[in-house]
Amino acid sequence: MFQKNRKISFYLLLATFSLLGLILFERSSPAMDPVQRMVLPNKIVLLVSEQHSLPFITLQLLVDSGSRKDPSGKEGLARLTAKGLMLGTSKRTVVAINEELDFMGASLDTSCGRDYATVNLRVLKKDLDKGLDLFLESLTQPTFPEAEVHREVEKTLAAIQAAEDQPEEVAEKEFQKDLFLNSPYGNPVEGTKDSVPRITREGIVQFYRNFYHPNNSILVVTGDITLEEVKAKLLPRLTQWPVGEAPGMPFKGEFAKGPKTVKIDRAITQANIILGHRGVSRENPDFYALTVMNYILGGGGFSSRLMEQIRNKRGLAYSVASFFDPHKYPGSFQVVLQTKNESAREAITLSLQQMERIRKEMVSEKELEEAKKYLIGSFPMRLDTQGKMVNFLSQVEYFGLGLDYPEKYPGLIRAVTREEVLRVAKAYLHPEDYILVVVANLKEAGME
Amino acid sequence: MPYDRSSKLNCLLLLLLFCFLAPHLAEAGLKEQVSATVLPNGLKVILLENHKAPLITFQVWYRVGSRNEEWGRTGLSHMLEHMMFKGTQKVGPEEFSRIIQENGGNDNAFTSRDYTAYFENLSADRVRVSLDLESDRMQNLMLRQVDFRTERLVVMEERRMRTEDNPQAYLMEQIEATAFQLSPYHWPTIGWMEDIARFTLEDLKTYYRTHYNPANAILVVVGDFQKKDLLQGIEQAFGPIPKGTAPNQERDIDPRQTGERRITVKREAQLPFLVLSYHVPNLRHPDSYVLELMAAILSGGKSSRLYQGLVREKRLVLEADAEHSLLSRDPGLLYLSAQPLPGKEVGEVEKALDQEVERLQKELVGEHELAKAKNQLEASFIYGQDSLFFQAMILAQHEIVYQWEAIDDYLPSIRRVTAEDIQRVARQYLTPDNRTAGILIPLPPKEGKLPPVGSSLKERIVR
Repeated sequence: MFQKNRKISFYLLLATFSLLGLILFERSSPAMDPVQRMVLPNKIVLLVSEQHSLPFITLQLLVDSGSRKDPSGKEGLARLTAKGLMLGTSKRTVVAINEELDFMGASLDTSCGRDYATVNLRVLKKDLDKGLDLFLESLTQPTFPEAEVHREVEKTLAAIQAAEDQPEEVAEKEFQKDLFLNSPYGNPVEGTKDSVPRITREGIVQFYRNFYHPNNSILVVTGDITLEEVKAKLLPRLTQWPVGEAPGMPFKGEFAKGPKTVKIDRAITQANIILGHRGVSRENPDFYALTVMNYILGGGGFSSRLMEQIRNKRGLAYSVASFFDPHKYPGSFQVVLQTKNESAREAITLSLQQMERIRKEMVSEKELEEAKKYLIGSFPMRLDTQGKMVNFLSQVEYFGLGLDYPEKYPGLIRAVTREEVLRVAKAYLHPEDYILVVVANLKEAGME
Repeated sequence: MPYDRSSKLNCLLLLLLFCFLAPHLAEAGLKEQVSATVLPNGLKVILLENHKAPLITFQVWYRVGSRNEEWGRTGLSHMLEHMMFKGTQKVGPEEFSRIIQENGGNDNAFTSRDYTAYFENLSADRVRVSLDLESDRMQNLMLRQVDFRTERLVVMEERRMRTEDNPQAYLMEQIEATAFQLSPYHWPTIGWMEDIARFTLEDLKTYYRTHYNPANAILVVVGDFQKKDLLQGIEQAFGPIPKGTAPNQERDIDPRQTGERRITVKREAQLPFLVLSYHVPNLRHPDSYVLELMAAILSGGKSSRLYQGLVREKRLVLEADAEHSLLSRDPGLLYLSAQPLPGKEVGEVEKALDQEVERLQKELVGEHELAKAKNQLEASFIYGQDSLFFQAMILAQHEIVYQWEAIDDYLPSIRRVTAEDIQRVARQYLTPDNRTAGILIPLPPKEGKLPPVGSSLKERIVR
């Protein structure tokens, strides 16, 4: 059984904020430094974790405005809106912003996924005020200048073209497209060569007005900053961000029925293979049993069954892994590998065999224990830098896991039994109903 | 580029090169915080306490990389790195990683031109596991034919994935093979496919015996431990290993290049790619810090010259980069690279890069711009400290390339650089005669055909 008294005792401080009146709860947690949680009057959730070992600060703002909000035919809009935040404000041009950021050695950028977009700031302690200015200004007063938007459209199209040279990306896009039917999850976040030229400044402004609201956002602050500083420097300005209403967009989507195979011919030496099917949402209560099951199947690095069969025993691939890609709504399950064209069929067969095996036979006690020990024991390494911490906390809040998640996690994993692993394998793995994408030299792969 | 055992690590390695100490800490210097000793058997031990989390990174670095190889056996260092996971008398094949993972840790390894490194990141109270496993495989590796045959196939797959099917990586390999004629940097770390195919088990055994001993290794541990206790554990685990002989590390260095070299690679690709590479000195020469700043001026952030000039104003390229390999044991290259936007000519992009080089040679960099580049490097240095892994990595790299204490010279050396230095260095190294230009010329893809969707492969798979 898992083990050990951690050397350091941690505690967790939970704070809620109601109309700036502070109520504090104190609890103990085995795995995380104290985190303050507040909900400001404009409904933005603010999480603060002080980390004073180094003189810098990291901020992440998560907005519920990922590509699943893209209007049909305008795929790529959510991403370009996020990018657009950095293209100029009512006070500064993009050139001025970049110059000021670089002079501080700071970074301020955005990223966009299928569920949400994030705005990320990293700045030295001594430049905090300036960094916060730029962060808040970009977030709340972007101007999306026409010429700059045009440049971004142009660059996005070039990047979409360049990505055609990366077979694993080609395979991934094809897989998503084939798996998700009439679902925004099926579209690439960056859009397509057809949709991106249709995106206009007006569309971006409208998307921004629809979704960039404090009540649609989570702000995580970590690093060399005190709660008092957050209250003095950040809260007054953050609370001025006016509440808005995001249009309700009921999620639609269904999954393709398999088996279905899509083959793409390229002059390459390896077959890039994705084999998978429908997955689960992050909120699915079986998430933890699935995590353990998938660790044994193909998530556990060098110890997984897929790695053992395909790489270690036969030398068929350098990398092979399986994963559930959990989203707000059900995502995908994928086995991803590359192998020389000639072994494509063998690797596919082996992957399917392993999916079938874990559905038929109970995993061994040893495998179960190894998986649990890794998942529980490695948890602290998921929080050991400022960058990891902001990602972790924003997701904990977004998916409603609770700030005691690090405390609960070992119990959730420990509770998984061999029977449950078998049950979720049967329920969530569908080796008869797969979507298979192969990007390869099809002739060499014998798959023409 | 270092090659590692799994692809996860690669981007990490590129992320941070020499980012280490906060200025206020750096003034005090690392020399005061690090304790370095050499065990009687020659093992160099470098320890840095960092108590911010109950974790450690445990790393064993061998002074052997592709620069230590010979013609006909290129890639042998990397092949051996893979074999290091195939077990000893005490530990079965592939058991190493299983044990680490069972202890809640992550492990991996990577090989570069200059070194082969093995690491475990794990809970501080599990240090014993690393001590036992790493000291065991320093001398007791079982090199078995059956494991070797399979693992060689894995390495071939790795080469296909990283190089054969990646047009830009393939171009870089060709550039290096052209720029370096005498230096072992001529060949890729992963080795030529033909060489990988002809290694023998005997090659690996000889190589292991020659290079894997305490006198040719560095042990670096960073994290939540007490130096005194840990050193004792290290002495117990590694002390009994017999003293070995450190192999001769002298390698040929290319004589001065006397005229531009130019190569092309033609293959199916979407967009061209252009690289201009210039021979430059390494860390042992003060000019390397000037080159470091020059690279930051050219491509550090979106206000940098290449981004402002080529990406924004001229709208010529999707991206442009200047990359300097400060931590290289032998003199390396400074790379200027750019990916033209669709419809733009490579020649036009090359001219624009040349203009940026000329500007460095003709005009002194302004005070504000110089200060900005220095601020960027200093800030990166501080951010980099947040990772125990990189703290250890940077110590080891400095030790391999020169000496770990040189980390303390990084920020002062950066701060000392003047606008005149940059102009002088640009004039000295960024000359056409000293460069190798490489161009990826895309061939149009063959008529891509999507076979009809909906057919099931399943029936045709042999089970």
